[in-house]
Amino acid sequence: MVAIINYGMGNVASVQKALNFLNISSKITADHTEISEADFLILPGVGSFTQGMNNLAENGLDLLLTNEVINKKKKIIGICLGMQLIFANGTEPAPVKGLGWIEGTVEKFELDNLRIPHMGWNNIDVVNDTYFKNTKTNDFYFIHSYHAVPEDKNVIAATVNYGFDVVASVQKDNIFATQFHPEKSQAAGLEILKSFFGQNA
Amino acid sequence: MLKVRIIPVLTFNGFGLVKTKQFTNPRMLGNPLQTARVYNSRGVDELAFIDIYATKQKRKINLKLVSDVIKECYMPVAIGGGIASIEDINDLLKIGADKVIIKTKALTDHEFIRRSVFFFGSQCITVAVDAYKVDDGYKIYNTENIDISLHEFIRQMVDCGVGEFVVTSVDNDGMMEGFDIELIKQVSVITTVPIIAVGGGGALEHYKALFSETSVEAVGSASIFHFTQFTPNDIKLELKAINKPVRI
Repeated sequence: MVAIINYGMGNVASVQKALNFLNISSKITADHTEISEADFLILPGVGSFTQGMNNLAENGLDLLLTNEVINKKKKIIGICLGMQLIFANGTEPAPVKGLGWIEGTVEKFELDNLRIPHMGWNNIDVVNDTYFKNTKTNDFYFIHSYHAVPEDKNVIAATVNYGFDVVASVQKDNIFATQFHPEKSQAAGLEILKSFFGQNA
Repeated sequence: MLKVRIIPVLTFNGFGLVKTKQFTNPRMLGNPLQTARVYNSRGVDELAFIDIYATKQKRKINLKLVSDVIKECYMPVAIGGGIASIEDINDLLKIGADKVIIKTKALTDHEFIRRSVFFFGSQCITVAVDAYKVDDGYKIYNTENIDISLHEFIRQMVDCGVGEFVVTSVDNDGMMEGFDIELIKQVSVITTVPIIAVGGGGALEHYKALFSETSVEAVGSASIFHFTQFTPNDIKLELKAINKPVRI
């Protein structure tokens, strides 16, 4: 069973819809027992970094998730804001601590000639293809004004060019995350979720 | 490279889909679910669904119907109509909307827009800019008797931190005779926030003109998909021919 973490930050329904389509059983939940018992976790989310961390902390989800992911090594996928929160530091709207599972900072785009947010379909360059092996197209849906800058570049699984090579996906041990929305990226996005959860979900 | 977006716009009257001409004379078009299903199977870039009478008729958008529409879509969906509170936005996001489109409340309550951006992030807050031509530029069409120029409204909304503008030409709406390129040019000069150009697309050359004469990266259309044989893909092929990046 997949626990989709419900912390009041948007798009949980779309994520579950994608899993339903793939016949992967899931539960949208903030319940500590349910999250502890789940085989996999998804941290979705849209919105601001500070609000996201506040909402997680309010329910004690920050500590619970860190225990599940770091100590128990449970597989987790972070999506969009869910990817950003995995990092140590946020800056939206002011400097704030993240979950800190990956060292690095989430920064605002500073681009002279390009529109912000980075919004729409853009093609990624895969660096680590663990979960990208079955995708037939490389266009994914992005919608973000902040981007992650990991300290250790080896965690980068994919980049997307928007003025420079922006981090589109990271992977470190049991942690996988995408800045784009696989659940909104039609066939290619569904393939990634399928690869991540495999046949075991 | 970021692809240009071709976005079908579904306008709804509380019962079925409708298409207006110059914001009047709504013509009934049928079932939103069926239409959403077709667009999903065609793999469109994004979909906009707007209840254009919600505010006027003082009612909330039908969440059950919106939820059913979103269930048909494995691509991003923006929802608009009657949004006036943080709770309204939350309700829509909870059922899978990616963005909300706000119009009337953006004209009357800037503090609300600011708070929405704070709560949900600017990427989630799209503002509808319905503009009509006057002697010395453009003004914002609204039913609240607010007299405000295009420039002033865009400036205010940028200041509130919104993430996107749906810029619709009221004069060209439903006419299928081409986009108001001057309008789109003016908006793209004032702001670096992404713009969806809407109003007037009726033939493939209209899209070619829009994308070659302006720096816009997204277009919204209804009539061309309802009343001609052309699909979003036909527009993309046309744009590909002028070297615009498209997702096919």
